Order: sequence, then structure tokens, then C-alpha cells
Amino acid sequence: MRIRGAKAVHYDSGPNMTPLVDVVMVILIFLMLAGSFGGVEHYLVSSTPVTKTGGGANTSVVPDEVQYTITVDSPMGLSDRFVVRAGDLVTSDMDKLTAALVRKRKEFNAAGTATDKVQVIVAPGRTVKYKFLIDVYQAALSAEFTKVSFQQAH
Amino acid sequence: MKKVHIPETHVAHPNVTPLIDIVMCLIIFYMLVAKIGVTTGAEKMDIPESIVGTDIKDMGNTLTLNVRPGAIEEPLVTALVKLPGSAISRQSELKLRDPASGQNQLLNTLKMYRQQNDQFKVIIRGEADMPYRFLEPVLVACADANVRNVNFNTKKVSEKTGG
Repeated sequence: MRIRGAKAVHYDSGPNMTPLVDVVMVILIFLMLAGSFGGVEHYLVSSTPVTKTGGGANTSVVPDEVQYTITVDSPMGLSDRFVVRAGDLVTSDMDKLTAALVRKRKEFNAAGTATDKVQVIVAPGRTVKYKFLIDVYQAALSAEFTKVSFQQAH
Repeated sequence: MKKVHIPETHVAHPNVTPLIDIVMCLIIFYMLVAKIGVTTGAEKMDIPESIVGTDIKDMGNTLTLNVRPGAIEEPLVTALVKLPGSAISRQSELKLRDPASGQNQLLNTLKMYRQQNDQFKVIIRGEADMPYRFLEPVLVACADANVRNVNFNTKKVSEKTGG
């Protein structure tokens, strides 16, 4: 079958786009390789970095605030494990800790204490790894506590 | 009238207009989104992971502290710090006790930034396996310098494996 006009001559007098495409492709590849994007990291915000304890230390806790302390320790000689104590709860399970903290926050709210008046203090031992503290910190934030701080090591 | 014969090579090239449209869109996207030549002083290290967290839109008021376990009991803290009397910044170690002067360089630096800027924020990038005793002096220095906004830099994860 003969396609009509297939061999018709179309003279294109437009500019040569090849150098433009070459340069644009080089720019595109450079940007794709050199660019860094802020999508892989984020931040846990604290308005009170550390709560001091001990004789003569100036605490950063506001007088009408209620303090709730979560103790984090690593068992002796086992730096890859940690134990959290929050009230009666003793656990290494962050889901259980989060659930317990949610219950605690609701107890505070039911007793008339607003969430922003509760200062959650994470009290770690000297040997507890930072990543475990971040897990505990995250559990407190997940329980919708807004003020979370660290205490000096015990 | 004499007809001009045009070689077939002139008509055989593809239409590149859609290609250029798409490539230009990609270039504009990358130019707007990519952060090229912008450094916060963040060093490559294994930071902890977390599911929750927020993004910091304005990095202009921040100082990123890279915290690692030091040789003895002190942390090794580095940051991109402005040189005194200059607009140039340099990655420097901030000692908690300078052997020459005996001064706490970290505390002095934080105080200087805090005095210059009420909105000053600190970002802490700590190694995931670092014991708390190395992080504690950094937090105490932040508190002593009256830095109220401290952000712990973590890796985003969508699902967390058990603790």
C-alpha cells in the first residue's frame, strides 16, 4: 500500500537544536548528581535540652510544671540493651512505653494538668547509647508530650 | 522553473521539541529543589533513626554540632564556625577544655551565637552508638549558653523495628 505524502519533502529551516540539547542534558545530569535533597533526615525538637540536678544546680523547670521522669539504663556490661522505667512499667519495648505514656498523659489531663505543663524528663545512665535515648524521646513525643528534656546522667 | 532538490537527510531528524520541554522542566525542578554548595557543617556519620520528627525550613539560624566519642571521656565536637571578625566559616573542633587557655570553646561559641541571634538553634548530630556521657556535656553547654531550641538530627524511617 502506498502511503500518500510519505515521501513529501518538508524543508525545516528552524535552528539546529542538537548543541542545545547536548548542553541541557549535561546541566541536567550535573544537577541530578550534585544536588542533595533534604528528604532523608529530620529533627526531634526540644525546647529544654537538659534538666540539671544536684546541689546548687539551676533547674530549667517552671514552678507550676509537673515533672514526670523516665529512667533509662543499660544492664551492666550489656551496652546493646536498655531498660526503661516509667512509673510501674519496666520494659525495653517502645510500643509498651508509648502506650503507658499515652495513659499517663490522659491521667494528667483528667487531673486538670494541661499537656504543656508536664515536663517529661528522660534520665539516662552514663553508658546508655544515644540511639536508645532517641527511641525513648520519640515514644514521649508519640504520646503527644510537648516538653521533653534529658537529665544529667545518674 | 528549475526545481531545487533537497537531500533526504534534512527531513529525517526527529522532533525534539517535547524532549526539550521535559528536560527544561526537570532542570528547573532540580535548580529549585537541589541544595548545591550549601553546607551546614553536617559530617557523615551514623545517626539514630526515628519515625517522628519535623523539618527545619530555615537553616540560617542554626549551628550543627557533630558529636562523637572522644579519646578520653570528653566528646569530640566539630561545627562550621564563623572565624572571629570575619564572614568566613570553617569546620573547627570545639573543645570543652582548651589545653592552652583552659576555656570551654563550645560554651563560648554557643554564647556568642546566642547573643547575636535570639532565634538561634542548635542541631545535634550524634553517633547512634555513642554513650550518653559524651552527649551530656554538649547538652549542658547548650543549657548554660541559654540555647532553648535544640534539635536532634535523625534519619527518617517509615517503619521501626523493635527496640
